[in-house]
Amino acid sequence: MTSVLLPLCERNPEPMALFSVSQTAFLLAFLSLRTYQSEGLSEPLPWAPESLKVSVNTTCQCLHLQWTVHNLAHHQEFRMVFQIEISRIKTSNVIWVENYTTTVKWNQVLHWSWESKLPLECAKHFIRMRSAVDAAKTPGPRVWSSWSSWEEADVQNSLGQDPLFIFPKDKLVEEGSNVTICYVSKSHQNNISCYLEGVRMQGEQLDPNVSVFNLNHVAFIRETGTNIYCKPGQGDGIKGTVLFVSKVLQEPKDFSCETQDFMTLNCTWDPGSDTGLLKQLSQSYTLFESFSGKKTLCKPKSWCLWQVAPESQDMYNFTLTAENYLRKRSVHLLFNLTHRVHPMAPFNILFKNVSATSATMTWKVHSIGKYYTLLCQVELYGEGKVTQHNVSVKVDGAHLFSGLEPDTEYLAQVRCANGDYFWKWSEWTHQNFTTAEAAPSEAPDVWRNVKTVQGRCVVTLFWKPLSKPQAHGKILFYNIVIEYLDRTSVSEVLSIPAPASGTELPLNQCSSQIRITASNSVGTSPASVLVVSREPGNEEVEEERVKGTEDGFPLSWNPQPRHVTGYLVEWCEQPRDPPCDLQWKNLGPNVTSTVVSSDAFRPGVRYNFRIYGISTERVPYLLARKTGYSQELAPSDNPQVVMTNLTSHSFTLSWKNYSTESQTSFIQGYHVYLKSKAGRCHSGSEKAVLSDDVVCCKYKIDNPEQKTFVVENLQPESFYEFLVTPYTSVGEGPHDAFAKVTTPDEYSPTLIRILLPTVFCILLIMITCYLKSQWMKEKCYPDIPDPYKSSVLSLIKSKENPHLTIMNIKDCVPDSIEVLNKQEGTRKSLTETESTKPTYLYLLPTEKRYSSPGPCICFENFTYNQAASDSASCGHVPVPPKAPPSQLGLLTSPENLLKALEKNYMNSLGEIPAGETSLNYVSQLASPMSGDMSNLPTNPPEPALCSEYKMQMAIPLGLASPPSSGSSSLSSITLLDEGEHYH
Amino acid sequence: MLPAAGEPAAGDSWGLLACLCTVLWHLPAVPALNRTGDPGPGPSIQKTYDLTRYLEHQLRSLAGTYLNYLGPPFNEPDFNPPRLGAETLPRATVNLDVWRSLNDKLRLTQNYEAYSHLLCYLRGLNRQAATAELRRSLAHFCTSLQGLLGSIAGVMAALGYPLPQPLPGTEPTWAPGPAHSDFLQKMDDFWLLKELQTWLWRSAKDFNRLKKKMQPPAAAVTLPLEAHGF
Repeated sequence: MTSVLLPLCERNPEPMALFSVSQTAFLLAFLSLRTYQSEGLSEPLPWAPESLKVSVNTTCQCLHLQWTVHNLAHHQEFRMVFQIEISRIKTSNVIWVENYTTTVKWNQVLHWSWESKLPLECAKHFIRMRSAVDAAKTPGPRVWSSWSSWEEADVQNSLGQDPLFIFPKDKLVEEGSNVTICYVSKSHQNNISCYLEGVRMQGEQLDPNVSVFNLNHVAFIRETGTNIYCKPGQGDGIKGTVLFVSKVLQEPKDFSCETQDFMTLNCTWDPGSDTGLLKQLSQSYTLFESFSGKKTLCKPKSWCLWQVAPESQDMYNFTLTAENYLRKRSVHLLFNLTHRVHPMAPFNILFKNVSATSATMTWKVHSIGKYYTLLCQVELYGEGKVTQHNVSVKVDGAHLFSGLEPDTEYLAQVRCANGDYFWKWSEWTHQNFTTAEAAPSEAPDVWRNVKTVQGRCVVTLFWKPLSKPQAHGKILFYNIVIEYLDRTSVSEVLSIPAPASGTELPLNQCSSQIRITASNSVGTSPASVLVVSREPGNEEVEEERVKGTEDGFPLSWNPQPRHVTGYLVEWCEQPRDPPCDLQWKNLGPNVTSTVVSSDAFRPGVRYNFRIYGISTERVPYLLARKTGYSQELAPSDNPQVVMTNLTSHSFTLSWKNYSTESQTSFIQGYHVYLKSKAGRCHSGSEKAVLSDDVVCCKYKIDNPEQKTFVVENLQPESFYEFLVTPYTSVGEGPHDAFAKVTTPDEYSPTLIRILLPTVFCILLIMITCYLKSQWMKEKCYPDIPDPYKSSVLSLIKSKENPHLTIMNIKDCVPDSIEVLNKQEGTRKSLTETESTKPTYLYLLPTEKRYSSPGPCICFENFTYNQAASDSASCGHVPVPPKAPPSQLGLLTSPENLLKALEKNYMNSLGEIPAGETSLNYVSQLASPMSGDMSNLPTNPPEPALCSEYKMQMAIPLGLASPPSSGSSSLSSITLLDEGEHYH
Repeated sequence: MLPAAGEPAAGDSWGLLACLCTVLWHLPAVPALNRTGDPGPGPSIQKTYDLTRYLEHQLRSLAGTYLNYLGPPFNEPDFNPPRLGAETLPRATVNLDVWRSLNDKLRLTQNYEAYSHLLCYLRGLNRQAATAELRRSLAHFCTSLQGLLGSIAGVMAALGYPLPQPLPGTEPTWAPGPAHSDFLQKMDDFWLLKELQTWLWRSAKDFNRLKKKMQPPAAAVTLPLEAHGF
């Protein structure tokens, strides 16, 4: 491919001078010219340019010259040089000199054009020329004719009457060009400002009315062009022009043609940037084929269809031409049609004879002619693999896929190209198909768990679903055949529908062989055999610890001396959950180590592994037990500690419920921290600083199963804090929640041992005393009888002589004693009281004796003054000096006294309160023999007692001189003393 | 007006029935209740007024886009060139006294004629627009303006005024002469949009005045004579 750049001037070449040159005529002319030069050099050249006319084309800013050469002979032709001078503004300012060489013949009008950079309206131009015969082939200086007169080209005169003009008008240039702008002012204003897109331009003054602005490397701004405008200082006039800057037309890239059907050629290319403007349409594209000479205008910008000629044309030579107003660019392409065949995509893909492992694919292709062979590429995607095959196709394609996996979906796709001359592949056409099912190829991977329920073996079977390459179809059910080894029971057959992954089977006998197969719609898999034995195997295998890594748990075991068919590792993925999620891994007989890895393994979870050897009889027996953590984590909890046996010097800690098995790491022991104010640590402990800078004593227990600890050597009455935390290889439990304890006093137990019985005894005594209070009272402090409570008062009332109620002792001469005895606290019925009353009366002195002033039967006992006043039962109460006024007021008046006495008497007739009777009727001299009043009539006082009473009264008589109150008091004391003496 | 019903005599049921019949008989004649009659030009004037306001808003956005497309100085806010090459455009500015003295028919006719011309010019603008988005906006606006023209025609028909007939040979065309420079063409585009804006303002005043006139009492309307810049 080649490209040709055709500038605009070449695209529209102006026919300046076009002559046919005759060698003979040229020689003749040359000879005659030489002759003329030799004859007279001073003469002007006879073939000087004449009739020079200058015209102006403002659209292209061109000066167009035309002239003739006279004196040429008929049929004469000369090769001549015309020297053209162009001046601007004035003739002396020559801006352009050019030698134009051409062949001149008789009577010919010559033309020449010149494009001005400066718009021609901006300045006057002057043109003149001279000529010479082109004597390049001959030596010597060139002989010029004389100059023609200056021709003036002035457009300014025809501009019009506007005060301001801007040139050029609406010019179209390519991006990167240099453009000269000028304005012509006719109003002689000097303060005209010009702007390019709003930015003021600085120009140069060409003459007083004309300024010029040079724009270098103008850039494309918008389709509507770049606005340039000028406005005078005064007035609102504005003049402007639009400079249309076009993007540079680019050569079409990636020009290519191809056919799909030998009917049409599809040519495509990359057009590049659009050069369209408001003033210029976008570039157009033309396709020209040189062999056929046909040409077509392509309306789309990036592709074109070319009808292939019906006659056989193999070779094509295309020229793609892009063209706009300013530029034209072309690219070429020469090719053989048969080498540019891009077939259409195959169609109608079908699959025949699809079996479990093979299938035949057929497809059709669009014909590209009977002489051509297509090369088709077949690809098969399935099971993550890709296979590729090439097939030669004339009309219809077919390919057999073999070695396929059963029950697998495959994607087959096919594409074709010209097999003779490869150009391009067609598009892919693809189709899916699925192979048929086949019987499962592998036995299911089965494991069991045997337990005994009520003396009966129950086996739980687990199996892993067959992988897709093993299942060869959808597994419908699992068959289980149980054969009892002792042949006593009939074999059992079970069918478990998929997708079950296990089942629980109660066995009639433990010793049995279980065969498990998986079935799909086509067939049954090989059997997986398990033997269940009654012997539990080597269950007492010691558990070993294993350290997990990032890759899993590395497990190893000793090779077995007896022959084994393989090993099996069993573990629970969810050991903390009841379902356990039993997992297993089958290993070959020569393997003695493996790494168990699982995404389900979590840090801080203890996993237990059991390694079984499978004997040749398919009986598994336990080889080893391993336990470990994928990653040990520091304990998150501390044991729940119970404190017992607290004494003043020790206490015992116990955490029996703490399970070492279910922790987040292997428990190596315990640390017991003890905080005390003393801060001293005894032997067996060491000082430890906790994270919060607290110093405490640390006791270490190395045995994880020792779950009690006695803290000793404590101080009595001291405050302690303690914490028990497990320690592991990755750290201790949290140091929080210290428990608090205060040791008791050293002596308090002894004191308690003494005090408690004492208090108990006292209490017992008190209760006894309370219960036996009456008895105690009678024994310890019997009641003193109150004379005012005697029956005498009733007699006083009957006599209606209140003045005789009380008699001073000094006035009395005791002559008789009446002793009344009444058992306190006993309540007598009215009838009983009445029955005793005559007894009192009979015992009283006679009326005569009573009325006489001399003898007195009434006596005072001041021991009961207070009690008598409180109960208001005694009619005659001697007023003590310190008695309250209220009592004085109440009892000093004779009426009150009488009333009190009446009341007392009436009480004595009715129901008598125990307190009152005890005060009123229990005499100080009551005989100990007469404890009950009921005994009074039957046990009258003895005369001896009377004599003693007299003796008692003898002392107040001896002290008759003191006042009544004082003597009474003294006498009462004396009486009391006597009473005590009596007892 | 409601016909006055006679006072019915007490107990005279025949008189009451006759009164009711009389009322029902005259009911269709009550203007306020006569919903099947011609509502008059009021609603269509209101709609036309609303449409001018909507177009005014729409033009503000369109003019901004189009003047940016033309480039500076046409998109500069204070650009106010002399109205040189836009003589054919209908001029919206008018002397206040003249505007006041316009009768309804003349007022509506001027509006109709102006938008007929402006619509024609606007379609020419649309044809030469380079970008597809701008062409879409202009076409949308032309459709709206066509609607305004139809609305004005509806008002005129409601008021019984005939539509102005375009004189043969005076139809506006969008064919700038060869001497018409591209810069002047851009100036014409600028003035077209400016006059369109001014016409929409004037029409809003016109229809507001007309609306108030149809709804007594009429309110005074003032029209600013100065055309505002964009």
